[in-house]
Amino acid sequence: MQASPGDRIIIKGHRIGEPDRDCEVLEVGDDGAPPYRVRWGDTGHESLFFPGSDATVQHFDHANS
Amino acid sequence: MRTIEGVRRSGVAVRPDETIQNAAALMEQAGVGSLAVLDGDELVGIVTDRDLVRRGLARGLASDARVDGVMSAPVVTISADSDLHAAFSVFGQHALRRLAVVERERFVGMISIDDLLVDLANDLSALVRPVTAEVLFAHRDSPVPSTA
Repeated sequence: MQASPGDRIIIKGHRIGEPDRDCEVLEVGDDGAPPYRVRWGDTGHESLFFPGSDATVQHFDHANS
Repeated sequence: MRTIEGVRRSGVAVRPDETIQNAAALMEQAGVGSLAVLDGDELVGIVTDRDLVRRGLARGLASDARVDGVMSAPVVTISADSDLHAAFSVFGQHALRRLAVVERERFVGMISIDDLLVDLANDLSALVRPVTAEVLFAHRDSPVPSTA
């Protein structure tokens, strides 16, 4: 997985009816590799994130930001 | 299959000085039941939702108590490159539900018993399918190979 600051990561729900989760990428490792420092939801909690097969990246169009 | 390929859920990590309240909020927001505790790049512990309840809430710790006061340590780990079946052995030897997966001694993810059960179910399903067909369609005979 490759991500950039500002991208959004979507984590699919694991159980029927469980909503997807999402977080904003704040910092990335070398060459955009994980782990990522991310910010979760409206509360602004931050953590390190190690993407698994349940996660996908929504790239932010930095050129039009 | 390598162990890292059997990891189905993303991993989340916090610092040792994170509060237990924030740790609980992170678990809720990320949809995970455990967090790796990293001191810089070093994996120093794992804190689970069970740890927060039994070692935190049940003991009356303040919500701003540190995560490293309730985490489990030392951490039982497994190499990302090891065969997935090695994880079965580790789970069998320790009373654990989760293992920290490490690559060059750095945390890269968490594998749980649930992940292994999903793989087992898929393997069993593949094995059972032809047997089921044979049982359900008992009169179906394989064609006799031509000897002409």
